[in-house]
Amino acid sequence: MDNQIEKDIVESVLAKLLEQGILNPSAKATPATEAATGSTVDTDSEPVTLEPMDFIGIENPNNLEALKVMRKSTPARILMGRAGARQRTASLLNFQADHAAAVDAVFKDVSDEFLAEHNLFKVRTIVKDKDEYLMKPELGKKLSDETKREILDKGDKGKQVQIIVVDGLSSTSIEANIADVMPALIQGLETQGITVAKPFFIQYGRVGVMDEVAPLMACDVIVQFIGERPGLITADSMSAYMAYRPDHNTVEAERTVISNIHRGGTPPAEAGAHLATVVKKMIDNKVSGVKLAELMR
Amino acid sequence: MGTSNLEIVQSVGIDIGTSTTQFVVSRLTVKNVAPGSLVPRFAITDKEVRYKSDIHFTPIDSNNRVDADKIFALIRSEFSRAGVSPETIDTGAVIITGETAKKENARSISGKVAGFAGDFVVATAGGKLESIIAGKGSGASDLSRRDYATVANIDIGGGTANVGIFKNGKALDSCCINVGGRLLQVDQSTGRVISVSEPMKSILEDIDLGLRPGERVSLEILGRICRRMSMVILECLGTGELSALAEQLLMTAPLRLDYDIDRVMVSGGVADHVYAPASSMAITDATRYGDIGPLFGMELARLFQARKVPMAEPTETIRATVIGAGAQTVDVSGSTILADDAVLPFKNIPVAIPFSDTLPGDETAIAKGVAQSIDNFYENDSLDKIAIGLTGNQYLSFKEIQVLARGLLKGLDPVIRAGFPVIIVLEADIGKVLGQSMKAVNGQMNIVCVDQLLVTEGDYVDIGKSIAGGTVVPVVIKSLVFETKQI
Amino acid sequence: MNLRSKINNQIFTFKSVTDVLAKANNEKSGDALVGLAAETATERVAAKLCLSKLQLKDIYENPVIPYEEDEVTRIIYDDVNTAIYKKICNWTVSELREYILSSKSTQNELLNISRGLTSEMIAAVAKLMSSMDLVYASKKIKVAGHCNTTIGLPGTLSFRNQPNHPTDNVEGVLASLKEGLSFGCGDAVLGLNPVEDNVENFERVMMAIVGVKEKYEIPTQCCILAHVTTQMQAAKNGVPVDLMFQSIAGTESANKAFGISAAMLQEAREIALKLGTSTGPNVMYFETGQGSEISLDCHHGVDEMTLEARTYGVGRRYSPFMVNNVSGFIGPETIYTGKEVLRADLEDLFMGKLHGLPMGIAPCYTNHMKADQDDQEMGTMLCAMAGANFFMGVSGGDDCMLNYQDTSFHDDASIREILSLRPAPEFEKWLEKMGIMENGKLTDRAGDPSIFDK
Repeated sequence: MDNQIEKDIVESVLAKLLEQGILNPSAKATPATEAATGSTVDTDSEPVTLEPMDFIGIENPNNLEALKVMRKSTPARILMGRAGARQRTASLLNFQADHAAAVDAVFKDVSDEFLAEHNLFKVRTIVKDKDEYLMKPELGKKLSDETKREILDKGDKGKQVQIIVVDGLSSTSIEANIADVMPALIQGLETQGITVAKPFFIQYGRVGVMDEVAPLMACDVIVQFIGERPGLITADSMSAYMAYRPDHNTVEAERTVISNIHRGGTPPAEAGAHLATVVKKMIDNKVSGVKLAELMR
Repeated sequence: MGTSNLEIVQSVGIDIGTSTTQFVVSRLTVKNVAPGSLVPRFAITDKEVRYKSDIHFTPIDSNNRVDADKIFALIRSEFSRAGVSPETIDTGAVIITGETAKKENARSISGKVAGFAGDFVVATAGGKLESIIAGKGSGASDLSRRDYATVANIDIGGGTANVGIFKNGKALDSCCINVGGRLLQVDQSTGRVISVSEPMKSILEDIDLGLRPGERVSLEILGRICRRMSMVILECLGTGELSALAEQLLMTAPLRLDYDIDRVMVSGGVADHVYAPASSMAITDATRYGDIGPLFGMELARLFQARKVPMAEPTETIRATVIGAGAQTVDVSGSTILADDAVLPFKNIPVAIPFSDTLPGDETAIAKGVAQSIDNFYENDSLDKIAIGLTGNQYLSFKEIQVLARGLLKGLDPVIRAGFPVIIVLEADIGKVLGQSMKAVNGQMNIVCVDQLLVTEGDYVDIGKSIAGGTVVPVVIKSLVFETKQI
Repeated sequence: MNLRSKINNQIFTFKSVTDVLAKANNEKSGDALVGLAAETATERVAAKLCLSKLQLKDIYENPVIPYEEDEVTRIIYDDVNTAIYKKICNWTVSELREYILSSKSTQNELLNISRGLTSEMIAAVAKLMSSMDLVYASKKIKVAGHCNTTIGLPGTLSFRNQPNHPTDNVEGVLASLKEGLSFGCGDAVLGLNPVEDNVENFERVMMAIVGVKEKYEIPTQCCILAHVTTQMQAAKNGVPVDLMFQSIAGTESANKAFGISAAMLQEAREIALKLGTSTGPNVMYFETGQGSEISLDCHHGVDEMTLEARTYGVGRRYSPFMVNNVSGFIGPETIYTGKEVLRADLEDLFMGKLHGLPMGIAPCYTNHMKADQDDQEMGTMLCAMAGANFFMGVSGGDDCMLNYQDTSFHDDASIREILSLRPAPEFEKWLEKMGIMENGKLTDRAGDPSIFDK
C-alpha cells in the first residue's frame, strides 16, 4: 500500500509536469508578442507545445507494459529513448524548458501586482541585488533599522502568530502557492482562537530573517513561507519554516520545516490546514523544531 | 512532524467458509513513509502473520446451518491458543465466504463474532471481495506487480471458485463460480453419496446423471463430475463460449476479458491437489475428506496441463483467503485528515457518490447533488449514517474548497439534524482543509473527513479509531460486498 | 621567501604564503565571499608571479593551518615521504609545473614525486596552470582501483549509476537503475543517495539494488551513500557493503561538521575490509568539492581550492576505490558561474590525480548558479579528455531527488563513443552478454530498461 501512495505522488507530479508543458512560455505567448515577431504569423492555429513528460520514446521496447509501470514509479527523466547516444529533440527541449523555468524562478522577482492582490506590503533585507543575494547568504538574514521601523509602522505587533512571505530561491513558488496556503492557515489558526498579525513580504530573504522579525513583532510563532531551490521537476515548490519565539540565538534545530508545498506535492490548501495544527502544538508546548518533534513522539 | 513515526497494528483474520474455518493473527506496521521535512504520510509498510490456526471444519448444525455457537467457541479457543486477547486487536476482518455466506444465519454469525473484539471490522464477503482477498493472500497480486503480468487467481473452496484478475498489483476484474470440492459429499468408507447440493444438481443434469443421497458412486462418475466443473472454470477464463451450465453457475457477471491472462494461479483447499497431483487416485483417496475436493484438484491440473494453461505457484493455498482477510484488507488514511475520534469507529457505512465526474462549481448544485445521493439510499426510510465519497484528483483552490464545504453541509443538513456525523471520503489530498472549512462554518458538528482513498458507488467503509497520535485512521473499503447473486 | 611582486609597474605585497595561494586562485565566488580573493585582475597575476618563485620548502614550512591545530594538516605532513621531499624541496613552484608538463615526465615519475608533495604544493602548482595545462598534465596520470572490479584502466571510462528517487521508492529506484544499465552505465558503482539516512532504510534500498546486481550477475559494486556511521552499523548488522562512502573536507573543523574524523575513516575502512562484501583492496568512496569548508564556515582563512587539495590529502591515506568531485553542487556562494565550475573541475581532477587518487568528476550545477547544461557537457568532455576515471550517470541529466544536474546516461554513452573509450573490461563482457553493447557501441536494444523484464 505504500507503493500505491508513492505511485499517487508520482502520478500527481507527472500530472503537474504535463500541465507545465501546457503552460510553457512558448504555448502561452500573448498575441502582442506574436505580433512583434512579424505580420505573417498565423495567430489562428494552435501553438506548438512540448512533448508530454509521460511520453515513452523508446522504439520497439521489449516490454511496453513494464515501461508503463516504470513511468509511474518515478519522476526521473527515464524512458525518453535516444537519437544515437544523444537525447531525442523533444526530450532535449523539455529539459531546457524546465531549466528555464527553474532559472526564472530564481532570478525573477515576485511581482508588485501579486503583492497588492494579496495585501502584502513589501520590505527588503540589506541585500542590494540578486547576485549579492545568491553569493552572500548571510546578508539575506538581516534587516536595516529603517526597514524595521517600516515594519513596525505597517504591521501589527503583539499577535500570537506572524506570517511572513519570503522569495527565497523561487519567486514562482510564492506566486503559485500563497493564494491557497495562506487563507487555509489563517482559517485554521483563527478557528482555534489564535490571533494572527498582518502578513508581509520580504524580498531577498533567507530562513534566518525570521530571527529579526519575531523579536520586533513580539509574536509567539513565526510562520515563514519561502521559495525552495528549484529543481527541474518543479520550480513551484515552497517550504514553511516555523519557530517558537526565534531570535539571534536560535539554531537550525529549533526550527520546524514543512517542505514540498506545491500542487504536485502537498497541495497548498491542505498544507495550510496542517500548518495550523503544527502551530497550535508549538503554542501549547512553547517549543519548536527537534524538541517539538520529540515531544510528539 | 508532531506524530509518532511507527505504529504496530494487530489484525485478526477469520475465514468462515463452506468447508473450513480458519483464524490468523497478523501484525501490520504503520509507518510514516514521508522522508525528512515532508508532511507525514502514513502507510502500511510491513505485514507479518504471527499466528495461523489449524484448519477446522466449519461446524454445521442439524438443520444444515452454520452453528454460530460452535463458531463462537472455536474462535474463543483460537484467541487463547494464539496468546492474544481480543481487546488487543486493532482491526481485521471476519469473512464469511462461499456457500456459508448464503446460509440464512450468516449475518448473525458475523454479528456474534464481531462482539468479540470490539472495534475490529466484520464483513460478509461477497464473491467479488472474496476473489480479491484470496488473490492478495495467495500472492497473485504481488506476482502481477513483480512480473508486470496479468495473473488470474482461482481460489477454490468447498462451495465456490472465486476468480480474481490482477495486473500490476491491482485487482482488475473478478467473478465467482458456484463450483467447489464439497458440493458433493461422499462417505469414504461406504462410497455412498451423503448429500447433493443445489448447484451440484445442475452439474449432474448437464452431464445426464442422477445421483441421490445413499447411492453408491464410482470413481469414473466422480471424475466426470470433476472434469465438468474444471471445464466450467476454463470457460469462465475465456476458453471458448460460456456453456449454459457455466452461465447458470456464475454467481456474478462473467469476467470482462478485455485483457489477456498471462498466468493462472490456484489457491484454496483444492489447490494442494492441483500442485501436487497424484497420477491416479483410488476412490478412497478421492473421498478422504468426505467430499470430492482431491479429485477435483487432480482433474483441474490435468485439464490445465492439457490445454497448456500457464501456471504459477501460490505462496499460500488453503490459507490464502484468511491471510488476505487478516492482512490485506486494511488501508490507512492520513495524516492530514480531520477525524473526531469520539464518534469512531464506524462499520458498514454505505458510500454515496454524488458526482460521477467533476464537481459542480457552485454551492447550490453541490448541495443538491449531495441531497439527491442521500435520498437515493434512504428514500423514505429513516436516515442512517452515510459517507459521501468524492472522487477525482482535480486541483481545488482554497476558494473552491470553501464552496465545497458549504455545499456539503447544506446537502447533508438532514443527516446533521438527525444527529449523525458528517463523513467524507476523498480521493484528493484535501481532507484536513475541507474538514477545517466545515468546522469553521459549524464548530459543533462531528466530522470525519478522510482522504487519498478511492471509493466507488456501492462500497461500504469501516473506519477505525485513530492511531499514531490521532493523525491516521485504519480504513477498510468493501467493494460490492453484498452483490453476490443468490441461486 | 619573497612575498612581494611587481607587475605592470605596480608592487604587490602579500601577507603570507596562505595569502599568496588565495590571491593566485582563479576567480571563485567563495573566496570573494570570505574576503580572500584578489581584488583586481592584476593583483591575481601578481600573486601567481609571486607564487611561481616560491620554493616548495617555503610552502612546506608555512602550513596554511598549523600542524598542532588541525588533524588534516597532520595527515598531510605525516604522509609525506621525506626522502622524496628533500630531493625537490628547493624547486620553485614554476619548476614543479614545468617538470610535470615535461614530455619526459610520465605517470611513474609523477606518482613518485607525488609522495614528496604536500597538498598545498599541489594546489600551488595547479594555480599556475591554464585549462589546457591542467588537461595535458591530468592525462598523464590514471590510477586504477579495484573493489569487485577494476576501474580506471587505460582506455576505459566508467560511470556510477545514480538512480535517486525523491522518496527512495524501490520500484522507482530500480526503474532508473535499469535505464542506466541499458545505456551501459554502472561499471564504477551502482550508487544511490538515500533520502533518509538510517540503517533500516539503508538495508531496504541496498537489498533492492543488490537484488538486481545478483539477479543479472552484474560485475560491479553497490553503495548507498549514507553517512559512514550508518554504513558501518549496517555492515555490522550483516547488510552487504561493498564500498564505504563518505563526504570529506580539507579542515578538521569541516570534517567535524560532517560528523567524521580520521579515526572514524580508519575504522570505516577496517570494517569494510573485515565485514564488507567486496574483494578490495580499495573499499572507500569519497566525495569532495571546492567550497564545502566555506559554506560550513570552517575555512580558517584559506582559499577553497587549497582546501580542496588538502581534502585529497585526507583521501589518499585510505586508498580509496574512487574519489568523486562535486564542486558544482556546493552552491553560488562558493562557485557561481559556469566558467568557475569548469575551472574548478579541471583543477580538482588534476590535483586529485597528482595525489595519486583514482579520480572522477561530477561536472554539475544547481539552478541558482549561472550555469547550464552546456557548461555541464563541456565539463564532461574536457574531464574525459583529461582522463577522468568515471563520471556520474543520472537519468536525463536531472537528479530528481538532489535537485541538481549532472552527466546523463546519454552523455555517458556518448562520451565513450566520442573518445573511443570502453567500459571496465568485466562490465563490457556483461554488456555484450546482455546484448546492450557490441564492439564498444550501443546496440539497438540499448536504452530500453524493459530488456530486464521478461
